[in-house]
Amino acid sequence: MSKNRVSRRQFLSYTLTGVGGFMAAGMLMPMVRFAVDPVLQAKAGGNYIPTPQKVADITEVPTRVDFTFEQQDAWYNSEETGTAWVYKDDKGEIVALSPVCKHLGCVVNWEGDKSNPDHFYCPCHGGLYTKDGTNVPGTPPIAPLDVYPYIEKDGYLHLGKAEPKKGA
Amino acid sequence: MKWISQDIDMYLKSKEYVDTAVLPLFPVSLRDDIKQTAAMSEFISLLSIQLERQFRGRLVMFPGYSYLKSFPEDKLISDIKLWEKELTEKGFKHVLYLTSDSSWKALESQFDGGLIWLPSLPLEHMDEQYKNTILDDQVKQLLQLFLQKWQSGE
Ligand code: FES
Repeated sequence: MSKNRVSRRQFLSYTLTGVGGFMAAGMLMPMVRFAVDPVLQAKAGGNYIPTPQKVADITEVPTRVDFTFEQQDAWYNSEETGTAWVYKDDKGEIVALSPVCKHLGCVVNWEGDKSNPDHFYCPCHGGLYTKDGTNVPGTPPIAPLDVYPYIEKDGYLHLGKAEPKKGA
Repeated sequence: MKWISQDIDMYLKSKEYVDTAVLPLFPVSLRDDIKQTAAMSEFISLLSIQLERQFRGRLVMFPGYSYLKSFPEDKLISDIKLWEKELTEKGFKHVLYLTSDSSWKALESQFDGGLIWLPSLPLEHMDEQYKNTILDDQVKQLLQLFLQKWQSGE
């Protein structure tokens, strides 16, 4: 009868191995997945959002590009929209600017004011930015427009998270 | 700016730049027009989100004023007048109401603020993408209206 009995010590060691095993697996699994699955890794590192804008169609004139993405706030998934002003500069490089005014956050428009062609205009307090996003002194904004990092994928423009302009 | 503590902090810091108050008007009915009033409120609340995003530096989007369709007209008028008084006294130069309920059109002449009336669109049958485009279009039209209001007031 005592043959099948599990001693206290045995019981403890069984359970601990079991639990420890789970914990180890829980920690290792994601690491292994990052190590072996390059697709997964790119996704985690990149976070570029696809836009409907074909890279080939981008011109020298800033064009408004709207895109949607899923935003996860805690448990809640929502569809968010974003906007960028996109054009090619004289060197042929793509520039994607955030439309959010650096004064108090209204949305700026390219040539939104007739008396200021070739500028981004903020309708709220008359903020002005030159084509490269630099704020015009004497208008309320105190910093240049944020810049989106971008990649080209399958011919379409994908945007990252807008960052303050470098070197400004 | 939205009616949330973070945005209100911003408002308190930059009051001199914020001269416009927008108050959405939300009809509620439990009678035959229950569905229409819900659709109107839905449309206006989505629109108010987009509008706030466009002009957040110059306006405060107040939480809406909800009212029963069965309220008598004098009650509606006196409520709106109270809002108007408070808002103008506290420094808002432009007070605007946003609604889909056409009964306000008949009352508009009795208060000072501007009424922005837009027919509600049947959003329930639209997919997300299309909905956003439609709302964007509406906001673009409102952009002109706001610019005119601001220019005439300066
Ligand atoms: S928010 Fe753009 S100038 Fe004030």
